[in-house]
Amino acid sequence: MTRALAVIRRDLLKFRRNPVVLAMSLLMPIVYLVILGNSFQGKLKGLPIGIVDLDNGPESRLFINKLMAIEGGPGTFRLARMKDQKAAVDAVRAGELKAAIIIPEGFTRRSLSLRRAEVGLFVDNTDGISATTVRETVRGAFQLLRLEYISVREEGARQYLRDVDLYRKVDYDQSLVPGVIIMAIFLGTMTSGVFNLVMDRFLGVDESYLLTPLKKSDIVAGLIVSGVIITTTVTVLVSISGMLITGIPFGGGLQRCGLMFVVIILTTLGLLSMMFVLLGRVAHPRIVGLLSGFLNVIFFFPSGAVYPVESFPSWLRAFAKVNPEAYAVHAMKAVLFKGAGIGTIYGDLIFLSAFTAVMTAAAIALFKRTL
Amino acid sequence: MNSIEVEGLTRKFGGLTAVDNVSFEVSEGEVFGFLGPNGAGKTTLIRMLTTLIKPTSGRARVAGVDILKDPDAVRLSIGVVPQAMTSDLDLTGKENMEIYGRFYDMSGREIKERAGVLLELVGLSQRGNDLVATYSGGMRRRLEVVKALIHKPKILFLDEPTIGLDPQSRRTIWAFLEEFNRAENLTIFLTTHYMEEAETLSRRVGIIDYGRLIALDTPEALKSRLPEKDTVLLELQTASDELAKGLERLDFVYGVKRQENTVRVYVEKGGQVIARLLQRVAELGGVVNSVSIKERTLEDVFIHYTGRAIREEEAKKVSFLVGAGAPRKMPGR
Repeated sequence: MTRALAVIRRDLLKFRRNPVVLAMSLLMPIVYLVILGNSFQGKLKGLPIGIVDLDNGPESRLFINKLMAIEGGPGTFRLARMKDQKAAVDAVRAGELKAAIIIPEGFTRRSLSLRRAEVGLFVDNTDGISATTVRETVRGAFQLLRLEYISVREEGARQYLRDVDLYRKVDYDQSLVPGVIIMAIFLGTMTSGVFNLVMDRFLGVDESYLLTPLKKSDIVAGLIVSGVIITTTVTVLVSISGMLITGIPFGGGLQRCGLMFVVIILTTLGLLSMMFVLLGRVAHPRIVGLLSGFLNVIFFFPSGAVYPVESFPSWLRAFAKVNPEAYAVHAMKAVLFKGAGIGTIYGDLIFLSAFTAVMTAAAIALFKRTL
Repeated sequence: MNSIEVEGLTRKFGGLTAVDNVSFEVSEGEVFGFLGPNGAGKTTLIRMLTTLIKPTSGRARVAGVDILKDPDAVRLSIGVVPQAMTSDLDLTGKENMEIYGRFYDMSGREIKERAGVLLELVGLSQRGNDLVATYSGGMRRRLEVVKALIHKPKILFLDEPTIGLDPQSRRTIWAFLEEFNRAENLTIFLTTHYMEEAETLSRRVGIIDYGRLIALDTPEALKSRLPEKDTVLLELQTASDELAKGLERLDFVYGVKRQENTVRVYVEKGGQVIARLLQRVAELGGVVNSVSIKERTLEDVFIHYTGRAIREEEAKKVSFLVGAGAPRKMPGR
């Protein structure tokens, strides 16, 4: 045990002497939250739309008011009033606008006389996601216009949908926080634990401790435990920062904190031991760099951190069943947003514990004690 | 009693035989040098003896323990200074020694006492609390040596211990090793391609080339086996055939060659007979302008056995790599 403790102490001292690594480990997940949260949002916002009103009647003004309400509310559009329909369409072609809405002359007249009244929507359909959003939102505004029109003329049965949220409101930025916590763990496990062994091997420093009576288990356990200490410390700081930035309430008492801590530790242990299995024989940090991007994609995106696991195709759902990050995200979301207790997440904890045990045993078995 | 016993040790990497059927013994308290050019198989041999790689065939016992049967026991008995600098740059000298001592289950007190003595001995006690990253190459190499001695090993293996060092740093390490060999009856096994190092430190020298042990004896015995003798080069004001013949008649002279005023005299142990030789030159009426002695060296021994010299260029290449903290070489010779 003393020997493994020496491995841990060595690793921690080295980490402490590298403030850049410390700062990067802390900042990167937070930057990730900011970048991802603002570039990859749940709903599109601020799409530039040109609008040309050639009608200038009450119906066209009503329609424009509906669009302006969307602009001021969800903010899907940024409306630009224009006078020339050709200029508006040209601006779409030039990529300055995502769409142009042309309300033709006589729109009000035709609407009020219950004749077919059309509005032109010219969409840049090369940007599929924006085009779909523009179409759906403009169509929605148009529906409202017709409903209002009908409601005045033909009073009918009204149907209401009462919408009840089971939990407190979680906005998009807040929903990313569990993913950011898992990302912090992932980054921590890539820059501690087995990575230090790879660096030692690359620099030829590993020879010095392979020549000592350290056993395989001393080396593997020592590096994993030091990795847990480093990664957990950084992840706790990232969690607190993420909650502060996005405004997630800190309530929930010791149970919530304790469960979050347990999830962080078990996930860290699982990922560190898995990294040992994958990288335990690697001798060049370039391979770690290469693999880290790949591993991040294959473990993070199918984890449910960004999109729900349920919406994945069946083969990806099958992968998520053995993906430790999927269990970690599930547990973290439950604790963070639903105030769940151990009864809700015990399945996740059991999986993460079993995963860690299997991976640690494999890491020790596969670790090569000689050069 | 033997500290190291090697019998038919062989290591192959694919089709390459890095160490080929090597056998020798090193007795307790002996300083044994393994001399050979880069790529001769020295590092592979030392890595096998220190349990870092397994031999393809053959047997070896280190500190009385079979290296394959009980490598852990071997590791407890040995200290190793590898060719590459292995101390952690991000730690201080003392921290490096402390952590290394912990690997051997030493207590904090034991480590502190031993590290204090060792760092003092190599002149690093004032820099013990500084990061190793701030050390010079010579200081780092000295730290490597004392780190390997923290747990009082019975045998110290050194793989090219002074590679890339200036002559002064090299001599400091030699003096330190000699002192420890005497004070703690430490068996020292070192590999080197520096002739002077092998000759100064080692009681016996093994010469290895292309993986094979081609000669093994004391430096003096190896040199005495050479057909060539020491050469005394005399530059005279005027030399004659009579003077040359007069010198040839001396009982310790094996031969004389004259080329105008330059006379080459071949003798056994030139340093010991030079005074008598100069006296005879004076008796024969010669006036000496200058005199020099070219004694036989282990380089001559190496050339004798291999037909080529250990080139200095190879040493430079390696010292550059080591100084740059280069990655480990492919498992080769």
